[in-house]
Amino acid sequence: MNIEAYISSGILEQYAMGELSGSEKAEVEQLCNSHAEINAELALITYTMDTLAMKTAVQPDEALKEQIKAKLNLNKPETTEKRMPLEQPSRPFSYAVAASISVALLASGLAFYFYSQWQTAENQLEKLVAQNQEVADDYQFVNQRLKNLETDVEILGNPNYARVAMNGTENSPESLATVYWNASTQAVYLKIQNLQKLSEEEQYQLWAIVDGVPVDMGVFDHGSNLLKMKSTASAAAFAVTIEPRGGSQNPSLETMQVVGTTKV
Amino acid sequence: MTNQTLNHTILQILETELVSLLINKDEKGFEYLYTNYSAALYGVISRMVVDQDIADELLQDAFLKIYHKIDSFDADKGKLFTWMLNLTRNLAIDKLRSKEMSQRRKSDNVGDSVYKLDRKSTPSQEDGIGVRELLDQLDASQKQVMELVYFGGFTQAEAAEELKLPLGTVKTRVRSALINLRKTLDIR
Repeated sequence: MNIEAYISSGILEQYAMGELSGSEKAEVEQLCNSHAEINAELALITYTMDTLAMKTAVQPDEALKEQIKAKLNLNKPETTEKRMPLEQPSRPFSYAVAASISVALLASGLAFYFYSQWQTAENQLEKLVAQNQEVADDYQFVNQRLKNLETDVEILGNPNYARVAMNGTENSPESLATVYWNASTQAVYLKIQNLQKLSEEEQYQLWAIVDGVPVDMGVFDHGSNLLKMKSTASAAAFAVTIEPRGGSQNPSLETMQVVGTTKV
Repeated sequence: MTNQTLNHTILQILETELVSLLINKDEKGFEYLYTNYSAALYGVISRMVVDQDIADELLQDAFLKIYHKIDSFDADKGKLFTWMLNLTRNLAIDKLRSKEMSQRRKSDNVGDSVYKLDRKSTPSQEDGIGVRELLDQLDASQKQVMELVYFGGFTQAEAAEELKLPLGTVKTRVRSALINLRKTLDIR
């Protein structure tokens, strides 16, 4: 059977509210015995309803208690006293019983109290742990972004990097991307200003034109970060084409999106 | 985890203790029961029947029945308070269905009676919470079924008829409402 669907049908709530017929009731009880998950859910539901009742309590009139005790024959201590004297020997024992019961009740009260205190504390702790984790994750994320930005800024501001603007071709006049190239360390970075979105099967590929020949500089997807590309010692121009995902050996020049020369 | 199991065991032992006091008709059992649970049961009753005399009478009936029927409480099927609560609700529902009450039973009135006791809620109970405050956290459709079903003493089938909704819808709304209330009540 589908336990999830059974639970979410709301039948356990009906059971807890005492609304089911004999056979439906028996079925729920049987399923509770065979499926721990259903049993746990029912316990949670009754606990919720019990707690609702406890939290929305309304104090009855003081007098009502005495009326109820009278109906239960509970408030006639004198009459029992009068009947008791002949049974003197048994009294120490009943005192002992009474005392132990008082102790038991006191202990019960205290245990209930501590249990609820402990439950509250545990709930709060769990919430705090979860919050803490959330804050730590956020921090981690922000920190990573900051590091990336720091690297970006360092490269953008470094005079050793030549800035090569690649403008849109006829294929895509709006497109724009920039290569940052350090000829002495041969490092090449790419920043996308504006490139169109590609399908899942396609990827952009950067090319350096070295001695009139296109050299692969690596493939990339759409992104806002500065991208580290392959290195090159010399290049007359850089260009970006659209290639099948993974890149090509030779550029499909007809798909060229942007191009820019290194020397004016 | 072991702590939780341990505490659960302690609670069960204490409840067994209390039940045996009640079975032996020991006054201390009654005292404990009344001190700890009468206000919760009275709250449930009062919201359902409104009239204070009838509510008083029902609380009496409930305690008499609890006291006399304690032998039929089955600890394997749930907690003592759950049993008491259901017994009390059923007494109140029977009363509502009786001839003398039935003409008063209109869902239009339920809303008022459910909330009118908020001000009276026991001041001794520091963690007490108003019903309005609780239900205001639900969306309108869940609030409506909870007013009728949990607090107003309608069965889910009666509520479905009253609201002209399929029973399945009422059931899932009750379920979502209780799940939402768990958060407010800090229940996991």
